Amino acid sequence: MKIKLIFLLFIFFYLTIIVRLFFLQVIYSPSNKSAYLKTNKLYPIRGRIYDQSNQPLALNQNSYQLYIEPKKIGDKDKLLQLLSKSLEIEEASISAKLDMSKDWVAISGGLTQEQKDKIDKLNLKGVGFDYQTKRFYPEASLSAHILGFLGKDNQGEDIGYLGLEGFYNRDLRGLPGFIETERDIIGRPILIGVQQRVEAENGRDLTLTIDKNIQEISKKRLLEGLDKYKAKKGCVITVDPKTMAILSLVCLPDYDLEKYYLFDENFYKNLAISDLYEPGSVFKPLIVAAALEEKKIKPDDIYNETGQVTIGEYNIKTWNDKYEGRISMTRILEKSSNVGMVYIGEKLGNKKIYSYLEKFEFGQNTDIDLEGEASGYLKPANNWYPIDYATVTFGQGIAITPIQMIRAFASIINGGYLMKPYVVQKIVSENKVIEIKPKIKRRVVSKTTSDIIKKMLVSTVENAEAKWDRPKGFSIGGKTGTAQVPIKGIYDTSKTIASFIGFAPVENPKFLTFVVLYEPQTSEWGSETAAPLFFEIVKDLIVYYGILPSQ
Amino acid sequence: MKNIFLKTTGFIMTGLIIANLFIVISGIVISDEIDNFEKKTDNLLKINLTLEKKVANLGSLKFAQEQAKEFGFTNSTAPQYIDQLKYAYR
Repeated sequence: MKIKLIFLLFIFFYLTIIVRLFFLQVIYSPSNKSAYLKTNKLYPIRGRIYDQSNQPLALNQNSYQLYIEPKKIGDKDKLLQLLSKSLEIEEASISAKLDMSKDWVAISGGLTQEQKDKIDKLNLKGVGFDYQTKRFYPEASLSAHILGFLGKDNQGEDIGYLGLEGFYNRDLRGLPGFIETERDIIGRPILIGVQQRVEAENGRDLTLTIDKNIQEISKKRLLEGLDKYKAKKGCVITVDPKTMAILSLVCLPDYDLEKYYLFDENFYKNLAISDLYEPGSVFKPLIVAAALEEKKIKPDDIYNETGQVTIGEYNIKTWNDKYEGRISMTRILEKSSNVGMVYIGEKLGNKKIYSYLEKFEFGQNTDIDLEGEASGYLKPANNWYPIDYATVTFGQGIAITPIQMIRAFASIINGGYLMKPYVVQKIVSENKVIEIKPKIKRRVVSKTTSDIIKKMLVSTVENAEAKWDRPKGFSIGGKTGTAQVPIKGIYDTSKTIASFIGFAPVENPKFLTFVVLYEPQTSEWGSETAAPLFFEIVKDLIVYYGILPSQ
Repeated sequence: MKNIFLKTTGFIMTGLIIANLFIVISGIVISDEIDNFEKKTDNLLKINLTLEKKVANLGSLKFAQEQAKEFGFTNSTAPQYIDQLKYAYR
């Protein structure tokens, strides 16, 4: 009898267990799976960005999001008081977020390790942290427009915007992995259970062509220049003219990369690649080089500069309305004679002018590896009037970006090669290094033409009408530019874009620097604003590169 | 015969129970270790990022400028040869 009773008891227990298991594994299967199967997303670390000497420009840092579980907190007033003090946020702001009916409320993101440690020590009930990483910029906003910033997409995931963060977002972000393990009631892995782990692939690191020292020189000088010449904004671009590797690119005003959300969208715009403008006289050497290449002129050919030139209903004059009579082609560049350029344009011919504009690839993207590039617009040849062919010879009536200008200029001093500008020279992943080589897009002029135009540009600097405080004994070539700004189809004479483009040393150019100042107030002329600023930068670069005087 | 069978079965059952207990306890110990290693790895990653930040700060131009200011090297002076060529050849 006793044995039978024990037997029935066992049967009852077994049946209870079987029924319970049936409910757990069949009926409530999907919802209960999460109770023991833990799947965690493994976040990749975003790729770092280094300058050409492997000095970091963008890294990652620990960051925490503070949350409160309202149902677990003790004294609410005391909690608010302590958090307000630690986070340096008004009590009212925290209180407004603290919805007592919810289980979980995010209070503040982007906390540093130090802030977290400080709050941890307070031992507050119901307060916790979620781990995140965020960008850290050791050089602050030194390279703001090159780097771009890291924001969030509409699903709250990190995404790069503008500059390198935008262009190389797919490389930088990496691939997330996941870990799926069966865990016991206190969260320890069950060894004989399901164990699946797919490692995250960290983002690729970028090594740039940028030299942070040149970047610092450019930014410091540009800041001084904007202040001295009371300009609205400005850019300094320095490249290696042989490869079009960007050595520095600074535009001001810029913005704080870590607090980008505090700035208006206009500050994000990289003027060097996104802003279209009429280049003015810095454009002249391109037309002269084209005419030399087509053998329509020689540097010593003579032009009789007698007065204004009339094209249809328009009169073209020199900047000071003074005329020197018989002058050489080199002198046309030296004194930046608009009427002389119209003469060179006529010698070259309209078809050739247009064909060289196409060869220099104006109106097309340069394909620089930065997000946000504007291509500009080169209207079709059949829409050009005679006045357009005349004004384009001195850089008016055509809208280009500063990066297009410096690329075209580089091509006439590097032996004739139009190169693709680039900022990233190496993409480094865990098991592979991709090297990015300079890329020739086409040959625009011959080496002979290039050598001739370089000499003409040296003469332009040495015999220009303005006398600059330039480093003595160093051969420097360059050209000033003062472009008028069209507003609603009419040029506003009070507003100009002053620029200077130049290179050194002439024999084997180490750098080519382009300075653009928008609407300087102390003088409207490039020769009195952008040019002195250019020579200040050149002095620093000569010392930095250890370039010896050649004369 | 029956006694031998019962004793053997009892012995085997005891052995199995001990082995089972051993496996379960070892499993718990190893699970704890895995858990600890996961936490330590996460912690190392965080320490690594903190150190990387500190190293980057020490090598930054910003830090160099602060140091220069502290030591009184605020005014940078261009070398003489930039303006006076004769010094370039001395």
